[in-house]
Amino acid sequence: MAQIDMAQIEIRNLHKSFKDDAVLKGLSLSVDKGEIVTLFGPSGTGKTVLLRLLAGIHPQDAGTIFLRGRDATGSPPDKRGIGMAFQNFALFPHMTARDNIASALTARKTDAGEIARKVERVAQLLKIGHVLGHSPRELSNGQKQRTALARALVADPDILLLDDPLRNVDAKLRYEMRLELPALLKRVGSTVVYVTQDFKEAMALGDRVAVLLDGRIAQCDTPARIYAEPVNVGVARLFGDPTLNLIEVAPQLVDGAPEIRLGGAAIRLPASYAAAAGSPCLLGLRPEGLRLVDGPAPGAIAVDLVAVTPLNEKSVLLLTMQGGEELLASEAGDRDEPRRPGPAHVAIDPDTLLLFERESGRRFIPAENGKGGS
Amino acid sequence: MDRNSTIERVLRAVLLTLIVIFFLFPIVWILLMSFQTNEQILRIPPSLSFVPTLENYKALISGHLLTSAGSLDIAFMRNLGNSVLLSTCAVVLALILGVPAAYAFARFKFWLSEDIAFTLLSFRFAPPLLVLLPLSLYFQELGLDDTYTGLIWVYQLIALPLILWIVRGYFEDISPDIENAYRIAGHSWLRTFFKIAVPLAGPGIAAAGLLSFIFCWNNFVFALVLASADKQPVTVGALAFVTASGIQYGQVAAAIVLSVTPTLLLALYAQRWLVEGLSLGAVKG
Amino acid sequence: MTSQPIDEPVRVVDRRPVEWLPYLLSLPALLVCIGILIPFVTALYYSALRFRLNLPALKGFIWFGNYTNLLYDSEFWNTVSISLRYTAITVGVELVFGLVIALLLQRQTRLNNLISVLLLLPLMTAPAIASLMWKLMTNPNFGILSYLVSLAGVSDFRWASSPSTALFTVVLVDVWVYTPFMMVLLLAGLRSLPPQPFEAAALDGVPRLFVFFRITLPMLSPYIITASLFRLLDAIQQFDIIYAMTQGGPGNTLLVFQVRAYLEFYQYTNVGKSAALLVVLWMITYVLSHFFIKNWLRLRERSHASA
Repeated sequence: MAQIDMAQIEIRNLHKSFKDDAVLKGLSLSVDKGEIVTLFGPSGTGKTVLLRLLAGIHPQDAGTIFLRGRDATGSPPDKRGIGMAFQNFALFPHMTARDNIASALTARKTDAGEIARKVERVAQLLKIGHVLGHSPRELSNGQKQRTALARALVADPDILLLDDPLRNVDAKLRYEMRLELPALLKRVGSTVVYVTQDFKEAMALGDRVAVLLDGRIAQCDTPARIYAEPVNVGVARLFGDPTLNLIEVAPQLVDGAPEIRLGGAAIRLPASYAAAAGSPCLLGLRPEGLRLVDGPAPGAIAVDLVAVTPLNEKSVLLLTMQGGEELLASEAGDRDEPRRPGPAHVAIDPDTLLLFERESGRRFIPAENGKGGS
Repeated sequence: MDRNSTIERVLRAVLLTLIVIFFLFPIVWILLMSFQTNEQILRIPPSLSFVPTLENYKALISGHLLTSAGSLDIAFMRNLGNSVLLSTCAVVLALILGVPAAYAFARFKFWLSEDIAFTLLSFRFAPPLLVLLPLSLYFQELGLDDTYTGLIWVYQLIALPLILWIVRGYFEDISPDIENAYRIAGHSWLRTFFKIAVPLAGPGIAAAGLLSFIFCWNNFVFALVLASADKQPVTVGALAFVTASGIQYGQVAAAIVLSVTPTLLLALYAQRWLVEGLSLGAVKG
Repeated sequence: MTSQPIDEPVRVVDRRPVEWLPYLLSLPALLVCIGILIPFVTALYYSALRFRLNLPALKGFIWFGNYTNLLYDSEFWNTVSISLRYTAITVGVELVFGLVIALLLQRQTRLNNLISVLLLLPLMTAPAIASLMWKLMTNPNFGILSYLVSLAGVSDFRWASSPSTALFTVVLVDVWVYTPFMMVLLLAGLRSLPPQPFEAAALDGVPRLFVFFRITLPMLSPYIITASLFRLLDAIQQFDIIYAMTQGGPGNTLLVFQVRAYLEFYQYTNVGKSAALLVVLWMITYVLSHFFIKNWLRLRERSHASA
């Protein structure tokens, strides 16, 4: 079969069920050579299942997986030339760390000297050279995780699957690794699919973020675009801390411009949203897009500041509007004067505003050049 | 628990002593008997002080018995050899057949798997004669009657269910991801089985093997039905020995000692796994 | 959220070229299964025949004839009676005795562990040989037990030779061999009980007998039931001990099921009757083993969950 000019990993319409539970429902994704794609989604949605299908551990019910341009169906895990690191490390308890790592090389009939060299090299890279002689029982979680990574990397695989490798590692180490990993992965140059449940990790590590929702990839985009241009409410809700505010609104055309009523105030929407008038919508307001202003102003909503939660780099403000609805706003945490509860006014930054169709949840894409659409 | 009054402690000690005496006395007594001559045995009242003799063992091992009526040939050593041969071969065969099967039952859920597993388990509780008596008629037709091969195959009925159910548990306890990781590292299914699954289930396999050996050795009815004199293991052989005429009691005792020593030693060696083996893998000691 | 643990390793039928692998691996087990089922079905078939090995010409179908004959056979009811009595007495005694020993050895001390290992030795001897040992010890001429009993004033206690004491003798051997089995399982059960209820009871000053009957026993019941059913299943089909001791005698006092079936087959060559007896016994054990397997599986789940 001629090699089609495809992405390094090409997944087409993948279906997988376990005992009447459909996990993957027609999932498609492509990953280019050398790209790092983070696979993100709430727990239990099938991210690990997808990795296992890519590795060949389970067969899919329907759909195709192409690896390096060739259909991988029927190919067992030992023939796929992949490196994989598991969430629970899956180290071989009866072997030393060195032998664990070397296991990825012993299958390929490399000579002993070459194996030793490669193991040393990758161990130095991951800073576990000093514990190579230990058994997994004697390693700390961080060392186990690095050993598992080393095992995945040592054979220089061109495809790397990482299943939430930082999950079982303590917070401090997780933070360090989050800084080190991107550089490490880029240096190695493999095509990487990295599963995580932490949206910050997903955005920090990935060239693109693939959001797995409801058995499919809802959106696969750069981190910036995922955040600023989510394809639907489900995706928008997954990113951001605190999560974005969602309020039911019904935009109307007033004097030819779209307008919504919010908390007693009339807020003018950018003209590019004109086509949304008349349909029930959900307004998405990112907390960092809400600014407290000094006094009433056009476009500002009267609110009551109920509580302030100071976190290190920011403060989260709990506001209630006239109708009793709550809003969360966030602002930089380095104020001279702490805010005090009481009446206030809040303005919306139109650039961070998101509008969704209420029924389908899809984001309403503002028109360019006066043309509307969704 | 910790509310030990002196009366309780004394009572407990007395009870335990009586219990230990009850259970160990027969073994000790027979052991002593095996070092006595007929005169010493028949002496009334029995006495604990005597000059031990190795005559009984010498007679058994050499195969010649000196009785009041003359010399008698005793083939008891042959019975001992039969026990060793039958039990060892049966266990080795059961391990070869049973360990991969246990793996299949642990890792795969396939058609008939639970049925096979439970049929083998339920046979453990069915009356053996129900199967053995018709089997003996079949064996006569097949020419397997009174052969080592036939017996070793039949002994699988004892060893296989045990090995299957104990080793299956050990395989189930290994996280599948460990095997997956080895396969992804580039190794075939077969190498993964031998290098990862089997070593990690090692203790269970050893336990099952030792226990199967003990149960095969102690078996009586299988050999009674399917073996004739020269292939009988010690369990049947000892009985025949006792009922033969002109036997000296010291030699009977010595024969008993030789019959039980291997299993007793193995049991002491494998004591850690006895609870698990006895409960067929249900209770971990 | 979906109810199943998606992110955990899952075992799934592998539908790829290697899908014949599990069948290949378990082929021997399947063959052994078939090797059991064929004679089993044959036994069922024989039980419906009039079949004597020494009169092969008379072989013929009589359907339930053997079974109805059994019902009218007083020997059969004797077999039932003696088997049930043997079972009830041995299992009852072994359960109580085993529980007492387990309670005495509960604390994990070196002495207790040593004793519990020593007490396992009778269980590891072949029951047939255990019978021989006791036969020697009860020999009227030189048996130590005969001597001791005569010291106690009872002269001419005939142990297994007398119909009135034969059952007692074999029960004694059975108790000697199998009590350690009860002890081992109950001890494992006792040691696996969580300490909290007992600590709480101690703090509350609950009397110990109450603790034993209302806390210990109920928590121990899975082990008690499993162990008892295990022994019930073995006791009702006991062969080795009785055959080695008296071959079912004296007379017909010890003709339990399997011994009787064996003698019918070999002494009277009545294959049909022997098969019918064994099928009846099998039906009893089949029902019992159903209960047993359920309890046994429950214990197995428990010990694998905590592994």
